[in-house]
Amino acid sequence: MNPANPLQHNPYNLIITGVGGQGNVLASRMVGDMMSQLGYDVIIGETFGASQRGGSVMSHLRITAKGVYSPQIPFGSAHMVVALEPSEALRVLKDYGNPHVRVICNTRPVQPVGVIRGDLDYPDMADLRRWVRELSGAAWFIQATDMAMKLGNPILANVISVGALAATGALPLSRDHFENVIGRKMAAGKIEMNLQAFDAGVAMIRSAG
Amino acid sequence: MENTPGQRHLVMGNEAISRGILEAGVQVAAAYPGTPSSEIIEVLSQVAARRHMYTEWSVNEKVALEVAAAASFAGLRAVAVMKQVGMNVAADFLLHVALRGIRGGLVLISCEDPGGLSSTNEGESRPYAKMMEFPLLEPGDFQEAKDMTRWAFDLSERLGSIVMVRSVTRLSHASGNVTFGQLPEDRPTADFNFNGAMLDPDTGPMINLPGPVTIIHRRQQEKMARAAALFETSPFNRYDGPERPELLVITASACQLYCREAIEILGLEQRVGLLKLGTTWPLPIQLLQRHLALCRRILVVEEVLPFLEENLQAFAARAAARIGIKQFFGKNDGALPSTGELNPDLVMAALSRILDIAPMGRDDAYRRRAEAIFAKGAPPRELTFCPGCPHRASFWGIHNALAMDNRRGFVSGDIGCYSLAALPCGFESLKTLHAMGSGLGMASGFGKLSPFGFDQPVIAVCGDSTFYHAVMPALVNAIHNDANVTLVVLDNSGTAMTGFQAHPGLAVNALGETVPTVEIPDLCRAMGAKVRVCDPFDLPVTQNTLLEMLDDPQGVNVLVLRQICALSPEKKGKKRYDMAVDPQICRADDCGCNRFCTRIFRCPGLGYDPQKGTARIDEVICAGCGVCADICPSGAIERKQRS
Amino acid sequence: MRIYGPQTLFEDVQQRGLCIGCGGCVALCPHFKTYKGKTARLFPCDRETGRCHAYCPKAEVDLDELARQSGQPSYPASPAGGYQRIVASRSGRRLAGQTCQSGGTVTALMTLALASGRIESAVLTGTKGLVPHPVRVTHPDGVAACASSKYTAAPTLSGLNAAIEAGRRHIGVVATPCQATAIAQMRANPLQQDDFQDPAGLVIGLFCTWALDTRHLIAFLDQRMDTRRIRKMTIPPPPAEVLIIRTDTGDSEIPLDQIRPLIPGGCRICPDMTAEWADLSVGELEGRPAWNTLIVRSETGRALVDEAARDGWLETESYPSGQLDHLLGAARGKKRRALQQARADGLLNSAPDTCRAALRLDAKTVDALIGDGEECACRY
Repeated sequence: MNPANPLQHNPYNLIITGVGGQGNVLASRMVGDMMSQLGYDVIIGETFGASQRGGSVMSHLRITAKGVYSPQIPFGSAHMVVALEPSEALRVLKDYGNPHVRVICNTRPVQPVGVIRGDLDYPDMADLRRWVRELSGAAWFIQATDMAMKLGNPILANVISVGALAATGALPLSRDHFENVIGRKMAAGKIEMNLQAFDAGVAMIRSAG
Repeated sequence: MENTPGQRHLVMGNEAISRGILEAGVQVAAAYPGTPSSEIIEVLSQVAARRHMYTEWSVNEKVALEVAAAASFAGLRAVAVMKQVGMNVAADFLLHVALRGIRGGLVLISCEDPGGLSSTNEGESRPYAKMMEFPLLEPGDFQEAKDMTRWAFDLSERLGSIVMVRSVTRLSHASGNVTFGQLPEDRPTADFNFNGAMLDPDTGPMINLPGPVTIIHRRQQEKMARAAALFETSPFNRYDGPERPELLVITASACQLYCREAIEILGLEQRVGLLKLGTTWPLPIQLLQRHLALCRRILVVEEVLPFLEENLQAFAARAAARIGIKQFFGKNDGALPSTGELNPDLVMAALSRILDIAPMGRDDAYRRRAEAIFAKGAPPRELTFCPGCPHRASFWGIHNALAMDNRRGFVSGDIGCYSLAALPCGFESLKTLHAMGSGLGMASGFGKLSPFGFDQPVIAVCGDSTFYHAVMPALVNAIHNDANVTLVVLDNSGTAMTGFQAHPGLAVNALGETVPTVEIPDLCRAMGAKVRVCDPFDLPVTQNTLLEMLDDPQGVNVLVLRQICALSPEKKGKKRYDMAVDPQICRADDCGCNRFCTRIFRCPGLGYDPQKGTARIDEVICAGCGVCADICPSGAIERKQRS
Repeated sequence: MRIYGPQTLFEDVQQRGLCIGCGGCVALCPHFKTYKGKTARLFPCDRETGRCHAYCPKAEVDLDELARQSGQPSYPASPAGGYQRIVASRSGRRLAGQTCQSGGTVTALMTLALASGRIESAVLTGTKGLVPHPVRVTHPDGVAACASSKYTAAPTLSGLNAAIEAGRRHIGVVATPCQATAIAQMRANPLQQDDFQDPAGLVIGLFCTWALDTRHLIAFLDQRMDTRRIRKMTIPPPPAEVLIIRTDTGDSEIPLDQIRPLIPGGCRICPDMTAEWADLSVGELEGRPAWNTLIVRSETGRALVDEAARDGWLETESYPSGQLDHLLGAARGKKRRALQQARADGLLNSAPDTCRAALRLDAKTVDALIGDGEECACRY
């Protein structure tokens, strides 16, 4: 299979990050399945297990016309970071960022226990935006969790973020591919809500210009 | 796992291994769950009925290997799956089955965790292959994970030996594209033939006896020699690179991906050769001799210990007359770290140093700025129990009882989510933590130290699955030896940490069939312990019961704290209560509270609003368990039953 | 009064072995709890000031300030503190038929205080086995049930704190000298809370030379008898020098020398034998087993005693001549020993800028009470 749509980079390095319980693994799997169906070779590296319990989680996606790459992206080599939690964007950029990396950032914080306890400070959203912009070539900030709650379940922030990723045009992802992928894996009753979430993510990027 | 030969799928490494097992026609698969291995049996269980297969969650890894070996002795192909720590549990039986041999193909899959991403250690099990003399295969990518697993069964039958396939987290829990092969349709029947001569490998009884040990051992070594010969031509050992490289990199497992990428990024394809081994024990001597002769300098890249490196060095020393003197780089000279995972960057750094080329640096100004921003903008995320986790409530009771008892008591811990009780989320209650079952084993020992002046009370904790796995012998030991200890069984109705696999306390097995349960309280009573059962969410009853147990000057008390895991499929997303904080009543940081709920209880569903100066509930995160209402000293946290 | 936070309290009192388990820091918040006669810190608290520290009778107790609060110019260099008068007393006809320990003065006065509505409830000390615990009584008939001598340090004040936290005021307390000291510090509104109200309506103090550590006593007696059979303990007046344990199967006597090692460290620096910060102080009257010594200290106390005498709750007589010297001599002895011990341990008047003290009072008063003016080594 030779994909018609060439990648901007080969391999294209995408990181999806968040906090345990935000649906990070599922989001990376959705993107991976969509790209794999388009004929690309996909490698997804992720950590889960203990880190699920309130820790940072991160999926590395390598998307390539052909071949197998390391499930760990080399430092400084991310092309796109999708952050389901804003401070996690900074954690990823520290190791994998570069001046050209693009970032999609959900603005709803998940406070670390140290912040809840009062030992640590969580930064202001204004600072977070400024820093993410400073460390990226382009950045989009989306209220994915707020929208997800409107749709009925905060976990849908991950699907909204996948929709936002599609709308950036960084990868040849489309609503049809998304529908095709979730149609295979998801209970019929959930498909409509996931499509709505995907569309909401697309709309957020479009309206941000 | 549909029968779609020739089609390409994006699958997790563990799914690829499962597919290999299916393609090999395996009929019995047994395992004890453990990250990063658990998905293999889960995937097989889903298709077991269609594939005429039996899968089971065994009580521990040794039993899993015995269950699989039984199928092998009856002529079926069988597999046992475990993580690296389970290898040590299975090791005793493994020694004997490796020695005596097998009938149907028998494969042991060990999924290991370099860096201890979800383990309390980064132990290796590759040395078992050398120590106990059986073949070891290490797949280097996703396609190989399937293909080598499938081949391992052919190899096992051809040699009459158990074969080990070793995976690592970055393969097992990573995903890649795999082209599926054909699923077999034949259905052999099981029969254990024992009527032949005592030592006949195919028809005799499968027995290890003191007399003929050396005869059987010699046979085992002949099998290893045959394996080495077979490995000479294995397609899983591949060389890529120039005919006369400046440096030969020898690697295996997921490390080969790091090496390939490092060579590609540094543009060293014409200078560096890469020998990727799939068969790492016994070593294919001719193949190695050919490749070691290519150049003088050798870099060995592997995780974690220098297993391959030292075996290659020993071989190179023996072959020095033929291949010349070699200079080795790897763990022993510090070119690569001998702890933790490797990655492309570490391999690039090693290559750059050895070849004296400029390292591929990141934009330095960017990196420094990113690190500075990270330091202010990304507060560390300490691991914690999930919102609504019963363990938080259980350790609240345990901590408070030990603190009130006030004799410097402590918790002897065990392996599971509740191991986190060593951290602030469990009020730092846990003071020893080692292997499965060690909590009560150690407590049993502490409980016998009073003649030497020891007067600290000890509470051992274990999970429900851990109880069956390794705590039962320790309980017998404590009771029989009259150790004065308290055991708290944190029963959350499943093997929660690894994904709710069934265990003997549940009326369902891996296949989804209804099966008899073995009740923990009944077992403990039958053994002779004094047993109580409570709901940990009932904080006062839990605490008082523990105080009574700590007061008991004799014998073994068992408290079973029963509350289902907040992430379990039955409970996840279903809130029992809507929680709210009354800001009028909340005392915040006043004397009398000092932010008790957020500073001490620290459920992630709670928060503190510095502007308003009151606690609050984060409704996105709160699981609605209602426990925080009981710890609030002012009654400011309200719970409303959900309809 | 210098007020620090719970961490300081933990370091200075608990970790130094000075805690006598009075319960003054318990039930104010979830951080301190009492269990089996011992105060436990469950969790650290990082407040820089706290009522727990302010109330504690073993941390930064400023005796001159407490004296000024009760209307005296400074802490007197007298063995039994400030008082109006000392009389002999015993319960009157209104309590006839009730069994009381010795003279029954405390029972009579507390019963009257409840019956007359002066207090809304009384916090007393009961026991479960050998473990003392606070009992809150709202009916006059409930007082007598707690009337027996406890020789173990009791967390009575946790009951007072719990009642105050529940919004109660006008609470009567029967308190040992250390507990009365804690209550005196409570009444000073040490954290200057806006909504502060004096919680204690009446404090009746008990004479005390020392108490025993509950857990140590239980461990001691466990080796010698079936402690479940113990019904009562008494220490008869000197020169007996024994603790008499009355059990279902008979009495046994334990020489006081054997149980003195069970006295908590905090008692050894206590300068107060006669509960100087109470409204009324009550003790035995040596030589007259059915009578008490009653010290009237405050107006509240005087009014209660007058009414009790008038209405037949209490019989009073003038204090026997000769006994007063004996009483004051014993009180002076305790005071001298305690101050010497506190000074030797660096716990008395430690340098105020750099060190923390358990006790503070004017240096001249110390000299007068001890008899010399040697400087102490700082312990904190």
